[in-house]
Amino acid sequence: MDYITEFIAMMVSASTPILLAALGEIYAERSGILNLGVEGMMAAGAAIAFYTTLFTRNIVIGLLSACIAGMLLSLIHGFISITIKSNQIVSGLALSMIGLGISSLIGRNLVGTPLRNSLGIVEIAILSDIPILGAFFRQNTLTYLSYILTAILWYILFKTKIGIAIRMVGDNPKSADSIGINVYAVRYGCTLIGGVLAGLAGAYLSVAYTPTWIEGMTAGQGWIALALTVFSAWNPFYALIGSYLFGGIRILQFRLQPLKLSPPLLSTLPYLFTIVALALLNIERIRRRIGAPQYLGKPYHREEAWM
Amino acid sequence: MKLHVKMLALALACLIVGGVVGYVIGSTIGVVPMVEYERIKSAYDDLSAKYNRLISDYNNVIAELNALKKPLKVGFIYVGPVLDYGWTRAHDDARKYLEQIFPWIKTIAVESVLEADCPRVIDRLILDEKCDVVFTTSFGFMDATYEAGVKYPDKIFFHCSGYRRRANVGTYFAEFYQLYYLNGLIAGALTKTNKIGYVAAHPIPEVVRHINAFALGVKEVNPEAKVDVRWLFEWYNPSKAREAAEALISWGADVLAFTEDSPTVVEVCEEYTTKRGKPVYSFAHYSPMLKFGPNSCVSGQLVHWEVIYADILSKIRAGYYTNKNLENVDYWWMLREGAVELGCDYGVPINPKFIPMLKEKYIDHPEFGRISIYDLVMKRLEQMSEDTVVFDPFTGPIYDNKGRLRVEPGRRMTHDELWTIDWFVDNIIAEVPR
Repeated sequence: MDYITEFIAMMVSASTPILLAALGEIYAERSGILNLGVEGMMAAGAAIAFYTTLFTRNIVIGLLSACIAGMLLSLIHGFISITIKSNQIVSGLALSMIGLGISSLIGRNLVGTPLRNSLGIVEIAILSDIPILGAFFRQNTLTYLSYILTAILWYILFKTKIGIAIRMVGDNPKSADSIGINVYAVRYGCTLIGGVLAGLAGAYLSVAYTPTWIEGMTAGQGWIALALTVFSAWNPFYALIGSYLFGGIRILQFRLQPLKLSPPLLSTLPYLFTIVALALLNIERIRRRIGAPQYLGKPYHREEAWM
Repeated sequence: MKLHVKMLALALACLIVGGVVGYVIGSTIGVVPMVEYERIKSAYDDLSAKYNRLISDYNNVIAELNALKKPLKVGFIYVGPVLDYGWTRAHDDARKYLEQIFPWIKTIAVESVLEADCPRVIDRLILDEKCDVVFTTSFGFMDATYEAGVKYPDKIFFHCSGYRRRANVGTYFAEFYQLYYLNGLIAGALTKTNKIGYVAAHPIPEVVRHINAFALGVKEVNPEAKVDVRWLFEWYNPSKAREAAEALISWGADVLAFTEDSPTVVEVCEEYTTKRGKPVYSFAHYSPMLKFGPNSCVSGQLVHWEVIYADILSKIRAGYYTNKNLENVDYWWMLREGAVELGCDYGVPINPKFIPMLKEKYIDHPEFGRISIYDLVMKRLEQMSEDTVVFDPFTGPIYDNKGRLRVEPGRRMTHDELWTIDWFVDNIIAEVPR
């Protein structure tokens, strides 16, 4: 029993960064903007959160500055892909490199500095005593935030008018425009949400999960988050489940090693699942049901009236 | 006789006499200068030979003087960023130290070099930066360094952690296994669950050797304890290191050692010790990590690359190492040479918080009788630091974890055996992945 509870607790805390980043990316992609720069935004968020937390001694300021850093970086991507209508893939890849570069620039003198006031674990009174499921309530604040965000973002996306507008912009910007939705504003908004959450995901790594700064500490988690976005079929609730699946695989890697299960094989599983999900999503019926954004990655050109 | 006949005869006589006299005088005068000339010329040749010798001696002295004035240009090629808090940072700290102590060197470092880019970086260092000596600090640079040695036979190269040498390519390495053994002694004494964890980067001989040395130390003080290993298959991934450490802790391990390039394991142990009420102890690796685990980091391994670099460079400066005699120059330096240090911070061999605990714990040791763990560690440290190295952890009998006798009683494993080790000793329950 203890073993399972412990496993779940570790799984949840390992999954939080990819969940946060994927939630943001779901919004960006739902509005039709493919942002491959998640890894870069996470790295920049991690470095800035560490830097500001170290010097202001205030985690909230650290987290906020990570969000702002992610937002500013995603603004670059928004400008290139929405305003200039350039290639989103190239811009996203460039963003991931810029983010990694900025992070190592900021972090130059922070390597090897321990963070005294890292984000600790907060046990929620009654809930954490539930057997097994109590593990979900023995986490740090950012993980609780990820539960809440999943619910809120799911609700907004599927149950409100704003959600309909976002999905419509991603599916068919022309008709969205024709009923008076400001396509550019929606796309900018969603891209910025993606940036904020990616920055927060990075901050989770540097001030909560492994409270240090070392160059390249995101180590590919941004790419896993991108895979999770597709795997979850752009649904925040599925992203929560998917992130626990991916996080569980990561944790299992080290628990199954005594059974001689190859860890490199296990670490490819998230990507394999994603490929399977992609193949399934290509089936028209499933695609319709799930409502995959048809206009993903394509810039929207507004045809101006001549007269 | 007619007057004109007389005149003619007289003239003839005069001519004959004049000729004879002229000949005699002429020949006498001619011989003397030839002899004199020969004498003077030989004296001149002597002098000019002496002069040339002096001039060439003078030029040599001037050249030597210039060489002494001209700094030795030394290039370093690193595989990682200089701020990785591990391997590359340790080399770069040594480089900065050398610049301080040797006014006659100038250094240049290139960081984050991909293995495939190494030949071009060496070309740049030799041709553009005019380096006299180049150090390459990753196993993956071995072939590129060797090829560069062939390409630039008048330059000197040193490669860290490899084995390919030639007339102008030497090798060097600061080896940690003695320290891992000492850490193992402490770990075996501290564990209460008799389960000890090890987070390891890659299954390569270097890491396998360190795990074995650690386990041999554990076994010496606590034959009951078992060591389990989790592989990251990455040198550097803090999140994975955390997950591996937590997996070992949930297996029951209460002491962790590691070989990977971040302080994550120390941090995780500190978190369990101070915030989760479950003490887990750890050992620093490569860099001082006491500040990451003031309550949980017990000891560790520290490197002093500057000791090796200073030795190599001063021997090059003195002309002892040249581009012709490095064929057998292989540094494999440990405690005796001062290239490595036991401790979680410089000058702190054992975290003072743990000293009383280790001094109070006694065991019956086959060699020293009843002895405290602290004294045992210090005794072994002293034995391995001596000139003759009276003790080596890899001394038989050593069985592997399949029950096979690998080292006969009394025999020490050789450098080559240690260099290629691919099996685990008998108190390790993991296996080396193939």
